[in-house]
Amino acid sequence: MSIIDRLKSLFSEEKDMEEKNIADKKSDDVGAKPSNLDDAIVSGTKTSVPISDVLKKDEDAASEVTFKKDVSSIEEQRVEEDLPIIEEDEPSNDEEIPKEEEEESDVEEVQEIQSAEDAAVEDDDETSEIEEDVPVEESLDVEENTSSQEEDVNTDDEEESAEKADDEENNQNKDEKRDNMTLLTDKELLTDANRDPEFTAEFIDAGIETVKHCFQCGTCGGGCPSGRRTPYKVRQIVRKCLLGLKEEVITDDALWMCTTCYTCQERCPRSVKIVEIIKKARNVAAHAGYMAKPHKMTGVFVINTGHAVPINDAAKSLRTKIGLSEVPATTHADAAALEEVKKLCKITAFDELIGYDEATGGLKE
Amino acid sequence: MEIAYFLGCIMPNRYPGIEKATRILFDALDIELKDMDGASCCPAPGVFGSFDEETWATIAARNLTLAEDMGADIMTECNGCFGSLFEANHMLKEDEEKRAKINANLAEIGKEFKGTTNVKHLAQILRDDVGYEKLASLIEKPLDLNVAVHYGCHFLKPTAEIGIEDQAENPSILDDIVEITGAKSIDYKDKMMCCGAGGGLRARDIDVTASFTKEKLDHMTEAGVDAIIDVCPFCHMQFDQGQTEVNEKYGTDYAIPVFHLAQLYGLAMGLSAEELTLDAQKIDAAPALAKALGENAK
Repeated sequence: MSIIDRLKSLFSEEKDMEEKNIADKKSDDVGAKPSNLDDAIVSGTKTSVPISDVLKKDEDAASEVTFKKDVSSIEEQRVEEDLPIIEEDEPSNDEEIPKEEEEESDVEEVQEIQSAEDAAVEDDDETSEIEEDVPVEESLDVEENTSSQEEDVNTDDEEESAEKADDEENNQNKDEKRDNMTLLTDKELLTDANRDPEFTAEFIDAGIETVKHCFQCGTCGGGCPSGRRTPYKVRQIVRKCLLGLKEEVITDDALWMCTTCYTCQERCPRSVKIVEIIKKARNVAAHAGYMAKPHKMTGVFVINTGHAVPINDAAKSLRTKIGLSEVPATTHADAAALEEVKKLCKITAFDELIGYDEATGGLKE
Repeated sequence: MEIAYFLGCIMPNRYPGIEKATRILFDALDIELKDMDGASCCPAPGVFGSFDEETWATIAARNLTLAEDMGADIMTECNGCFGSLFEANHMLKEDEEKRAKINANLAEIGKEFKGTTNVKHLAQILRDDVGYEKLASLIEKPLDLNVAVHYGCHFLKPTAEIGIEDQAENPSILDDIVEITGAKSIDYKDKMMCCGAGGGLRARDIDVTASFTKEKLDHMTEAGVDAIIDVCPFCHMQFDQGQTEVNEKYGTDYAIPVFHLAQLYGLAMGLSAEELTLDAQKIDAAPALAKALGENAK
């Protein structure tokens, strides 16, 4: 049980930090200081501050920074190094102290939560505004910075030279070093023309608002058993869904490499309903005609028998041998029930979706 | 106590020994399993859920109404069925808009989703409704077996919705139920990893699925187990039939027998390998059975 407590405390630490970041961001809006480092950490995409600065500071803060454990030391270090932030951090540091005195803490917490919620609302608004105002290229550029810096973190020389280099050289370096983990390349810059806002809206309309909460940390991909062996990159897909890159998402075979095991969703620090996003994206893909024949055939089995895996002779004889009914008391033994299933598949146009041919009981073509 | 028994597809149509074992187990527990006449595929969450949410929810809701009409909660011993039915039940209870849409479809066949049933997993019922003490009283032949417990994905997860008391990444419910039979649950690397069959992957790309399964089998072998225990006929099929596919593709010679939890209890209650249709499975269970029952056979 101590492990659970430990985890809980780690998560709450993380949450505290998250809330502070949001609070910082909020005050930052007022103070009009667009290059705040915390922005870069939270959204990861919306500023032009080199991530190397952020990473370097973290490295300086503790030579062996582990991501979660040393949150507090990073926090302290930032206070020391970053004078402008001290003023903003102090109030939230103060807030932490009363938490230890349990009597007052409830009120404090409620206020804190309230302000975090307000900030979150503003955060959303701000995000959408920025997405309209700022050309897409800019936000994507930064994302490339992020990934190239991820590669560079451990090599100080490269990092320094990268900092000195001007933007264009920097980009060229990145092109050479880039592997296929990167979402986009400079040669394939995307503009608003590539985006389909209606695609993004499909997720929101389906109740998966959490698609907007993703800050691209990569925890999902890190735990993904499919990503270890296939081109399935769940973090990228979530990002593409949010940006509205419909064609890229639905034409990619890798979308179908997810086993819906929920590891990503369980571990997501932002509680993004990742599996729902994947299934929704697959729905859009299926309706656009991207559906594998074996999948269509599973649908055919259900329309014809009510079962995705229908009974066969071997199973019938096994059932009889051990004293079960020859066929189970399902649609296999109930023609009227099977008709109901068929009718429902017609009502929802599932038969058309998979190209079911009623005359042959198979697929059209 | 009575409960609506949802069969699904793979158990009754491929591994009927699991059904047989479950019926005998619940007889002994004095819980009546009532057939859901005319039930269909759940339908498979990774396939139908991935194609068209409305169709998935409509067919799932039809199954749910069968139990509602019986006035009973549903039990399933397949993670896929559990995930599908639980999720649909949860969604339609919570989301009035979707419920209205699905009910408009169901009205065409004279049915209505009312939201009056609950969907439960076999293991959940054994722990929460039956209790470990009563389970222990059923054991006639304590099993001398070292087993790899495989939880599967759609049993405890997504925890935010499912709400079975346990931890998704470090659970104990199945290990506890398994060890009541005398078998020992052996820890192994990446125990919570998926078998690889779900999400429509087995149908679409069996090589990738086999690669998942091989990784699991590697880790189970390292840990040195006599058998695999699952609570999902689809995982069961993947470890049984899929194991032969792994051997074909990788030139390996894995031969770890696979028991569904109900079959394990069947063995501990003295049922034969034939009654449990273990003799019809791809991977020969005889070595594990000889070890499991060795002492009692004297």
